[in-house]
Amino acid sequence: MPLDAAQARALRVGDTVRISGDIVVSAGLPTYQRIADHLRDGHALPINLRDGVLFHLGSYSRETQGGDLEVLYINPTTSTRFNALMPGIIRGLGLHAVGGKGGLDAECVKAMQDAGCVYLSFPGGGSALLSEALRGVREVAWPELLTHYRLVKLRVEGLGPATVAIDAHGNSIYAELQAGSQQRMAQILDDLQRDREQQGRIDQR
Amino acid sequence: MAITYEAVKAVSAQLYDWSLRKVPDDARSALRDLQGSERNETARKTLTFMLASADAAERNGRFVCSDAGVPVYLMRIGTAARLEGPIKQAFVDGFAELVARIEPPLLDHVTHPLTLERGHSGRNMPLVTYELIDNADYVEIICSPKALGSGRWAALEIFSFPTLEVIERYVLEVVMKAGSQPCPPVVIGVGIGGSFDYAAKMSKQATLRPVGQAHPEAMVAAMEQRLLAAVNKTGFGPMGTGGDATSMAVHVDYSAGHGFTPVAVCFNCWINRRTSARIYNDGRVERID
Repeated sequence: MPLDAAQARALRVGDTVRISGDIVVSAGLPTYQRIADHLRDGHALPINLRDGVLFHLGSYSRETQGGDLEVLYINPTTSTRFNALMPGIIRGLGLHAVGGKGGLDAECVKAMQDAGCVYLSFPGGGSALLSEALRGVREVAWPELLTHYRLVKLRVEGLGPATVAIDAHGNSIYAELQAGSQQRMAQILDDLQRDREQQGRIDQR
Repeated sequence: MAITYEAVKAVSAQLYDWSLRKVPDDARSALRDLQGSERNETARKTLTFMLASADAAERNGRFVCSDAGVPVYLMRIGTAARLEGPIKQAFVDGFAELVARIEPPLLDHVTHPLTLERGHSGRNMPLVTYELIDNADYVEIICSPKALGSGRWAALEIFSFPTLEVIERYVLEVVMKAGSQPCPPVVIGVGIGGSFDYAAKMSKQATLRPVGQAHPEAMVAAMEQRLLAAVNKTGFGPMGTGGDATSMAVHVDYSAGHGFTPVAVCFNCWINRRTSARIYNDGRVERID
């Protein structure tokens, strides 16, 4: 990091990456609402996110005795919670990478295509290892919010592995898997029927 | 001697703490098995990362997931157990004390469902279910913290005289809706029959069973096997980015009921965090998992 549109567009669904540099994170729905409101009203954000990266990662930050901030742990949160807000945020800020876990919907995929932006899937339950990449807190905005809702700029080194699950060309692993499983559903149900018959336990009710 | 307020307070808090830092051995073993049969390379890497994350959390005493969820307990009370003091309050006070001392601190996850305010306490929190065990001289406390990641995808529908085909199709529909989201490979709990509340409780408790332990009735065990095979044909895979390993186990339970048949389905993420201990009348504490 930083990542520009051309670098983002060079990534393809299925690629595995590690991230070094500055990233901005927040896991709070009210935070993303506030970002969207700022963009709508033309107000500057307290942390510059223009052409930046913004991840759905929760973090625990607290003040040290020396008055600095330290981050104790990070981990991805469910991105689909932010579906409604993300297209406007991605386009409005020209983001080049977003991420979390579980993916984003079709409207977000379109916005990512426009902005030259990828979605990175971080492994859930990876807190112990993901947190090893933390190198410090660069900025914290909106301290009045809950700690994991604050907008936090972190310095990281080798954060990951993260999988490119939506690329900047309209390809989404999530959409493909959902479509693929829908296609296979009839076959899966047929297999279940065959298994039931084989086990000689056809429903008698 | 008796099972005291102090003992329940201390044990319930300790179980919650343990459950955040350790992936249970049965879940780890199931992940290793899935790694052996997984055909997708990215998925194998993700499973490797999960096992490494479990090791790192345990070695360093770190949380496996930053989302500690909310404290959820099942307390099974032996009918020969002697309880002393305000046992229900012991869970509340134990959690409050844990919040004050746990390191690293817990995020504010306890949410008021009507105002969405978040903190570390709230009405009926911790969530505790009580049951009886005939003749036992102990209480068994099981802690299974629950968070949004897998918690939000549980579902229940009520059918009228359903065939097995209808029931199994519904389980698959719930799995499809959850899709990539609940941090697979998941344990899926299915509760069938009884009543609305019973079915939900059975599905939850089915996820507490040792991973992959079959139901004692052959007909139900067969259903578990074929549902597991079916779920692992959907293709969502580890962390929902594609692969064979969408589920490590499907656990089904049922109760007799009327012709209306609730079917409840719920999910545990790959961590499957749950811990349990017994407290005996003589004060002895035995950690089970």
